[in-house]
Amino acid sequence: MSEHVLKVENLKVYYWTDRGPIKAVDGIDLEVRKGERFGIVGESGCGKSTTAMSLLRLIKQPGSIEQGRIVLDGDDLLQLDDEAMRAARWSRISLIPQGSMNSLNPVIKIGSQITDAVVAHGGSVARADAKARITELLGMVGLPARVYNMYPHELSGGMKQRVCIAMAIVLQPRVIIADEPTSALDVVVQRVVTQTLIKVQESLGASLVIIGHDMGLLAQLVDRLAVMYAGKVAEVSPAEEIYKDPLHPYTQLLIGSIPSVKEKKHLEGIPGLPPTLLEPPSGCIFHPRCPHATEQCSTEVPEYREVRPGRMVACHLFN
Amino acid sequence: MDAHVNTGTPLLEVRNLTKIFGRGIGRGHETIALQDFSLALYDDQPMITAIAGESGSGKTTLARLILDFIQPTSGQILWRGQNLHKMSKKELMSYRHECQAVFQDPYAAFNPFYRVDHIFHMAITEFKLARSRDEAEKIVDEALEVVGLRPQEILGKYPHQLSGGQRQRLIVARALLLKPRLIVADEPVSMIDASLRAMILDIMLKLKDEFGISFLYITHDLSTAYQISDRIFILYEGSVTETGDATGVIGNPQHPYTQLLIGSVPTPDPTLKWAEDIELSADEEFGKGDKAGCRFYSRCPHSMEECHLSPPQLYEVGEDGHYASCYLYK
Repeated sequence: MSEHVLKVENLKVYYWTDRGPIKAVDGIDLEVRKGERFGIVGESGCGKSTTAMSLLRLIKQPGSIEQGRIVLDGDDLLQLDDEAMRAARWSRISLIPQGSMNSLNPVIKIGSQITDAVVAHGGSVARADAKARITELLGMVGLPARVYNMYPHELSGGMKQRVCIAMAIVLQPRVIIADEPTSALDVVVQRVVTQTLIKVQESLGASLVIIGHDMGLLAQLVDRLAVMYAGKVAEVSPAEEIYKDPLHPYTQLLIGSIPSVKEKKHLEGIPGLPPTLLEPPSGCIFHPRCPHATEQCSTEVPEYREVRPGRMVACHLFN
Repeated sequence: MDAHVNTGTPLLEVRNLTKIFGRGIGRGHETIALQDFSLALYDDQPMITAIAGESGSGKTTLARLILDFIQPTSGQILWRGQNLHKMSKKELMSYRHECQAVFQDPYAAFNPFYRVDHIFHMAITEFKLARSRDEAEKIVDEALEVVGLRPQEILGKYPHQLSGGQRQRLIVARALLLKPRLIVADEPVSMIDASLRAMILDIMLKLKDEFGISFLYITHDLSTAYQISDRIFILYEGSVTETGDATGVIGNPQHPYTQLLIGSVPTPDPTLKWAEDIELSADEEFGKGDKAGCRFYSRCPHSMEECHLSPPQLYEVGEDGHYASCYLYK
């Protein structure tokens, strides 16, 4: 189980503006194991979607990947030429983008859209074979076969989202990236889509990277969780441990701010505001909001390292 | 239906409110957005009343009806005993003074070309809230302080310079300026990050406790409703499925739909996973559910013959005005 499928090393993604670079992702390291469900959680602007897009090298101007390695099964994706990268997308690593259910073409039937995805990414299948294969895929995500001949507007949000899941797995990739796969869905539908995602991932034996902001939902879903803050990784820990015993102060506060339907408590927010990434604070990027901040935190960037078995944290408290 | 004994005239009373969209010449298809909704709020018992439901449940339609943005198909809305649709212009103005709104999107609520102060100036001029510049400045500062913003850091800025949480607090401060008795808050925190959300919810509690302002808290998020509301209405396809004390309804749901809904709220604890996989039938996903009887009939694990025939009324299922519209409790 501990074999790595995807390894991200010191990845930096900047958006260039007139006033200098916005360091949306600023030197992150992540490892995704074979067959695992890996979550990346964070608040708006923390760089989680930028990370997702850069894993498929889909960052567009004025953004650019400045530095780092993204190693998928031994190949550094950042070294591939464009044609090789295009071939890798979908067949080796695929993406369910944020809000993808609204990106289906309204005038093309579902079946043709999935077939297009196959053809565009080099799957050489005859249209007739494609139909059988796609119907099978629709079955895998719990949709009736007649959806093949339907238009997007005939489907509910949850169904469209499952079409996007089907589209992402059509070439049986090793890694599936899902960016906020259930945001904007109601809780019951969210539960159905989440279950579908787990079922599909398990039957393919693929690794799943889920980007999200809802700590509650990710608790239901992931094996390990990375917490991002202002372009950096604050903590990576196994799910069972991070919810019970969060190490980084930001993780602790984030978990303290989740409302529950099980017990009434005073909801604690996090004082202050996320920093502007044009002029990030010195030292630890979280120190202006951190209740445990010391002199050292405002001057020295904490090292990101393993502080307990399987638990990576970037915080001076653990030095 | 209200457990709290109160004989005075309610601040807001909603009687059998129904809104049907798409009924017109040559239109066969119509949608019942809200059906037979009733509620009463009293000024001397300020409360946060949550209206909770999924998309399409009619919760925003209710908010828009109460704010007089759209007209009901049938039923009445009474403000201090006066029918909203029979008010004179002057009475309507005083209603707009006392009943304020906070909406979901704090980005769309500002005109990007004006400094944020503009929203305060408009309210002050329109409702003649201050006699002098100094007085205007004073009341704005006071309102900002209540929502935890420092005037010197906020005023004079443009909306894009502020975060979503700050903007939403500005909108609440603007509402507060008018000394409202009721604030209709339609998904006020759904676009705000978790770490900043608690602050907005805290402000709502503070306004209720310290200023006696009632809230209609429209939300899809049962966990925040549970944390701050006193009373709750659960809507499903335009009808109330369950209502009562918020702790009672969410802690001990009786209607099968409420049970499914609360069971589907993810718990932030990996050791407490969802009970079992659920499936939605193709028909209900395509929105072809039965409309004659109970709206939840096709999805309900307890469905009986009579559920199919006519919609159930609200039956008492517990203390503190806990009602559920389900034949199981007839």
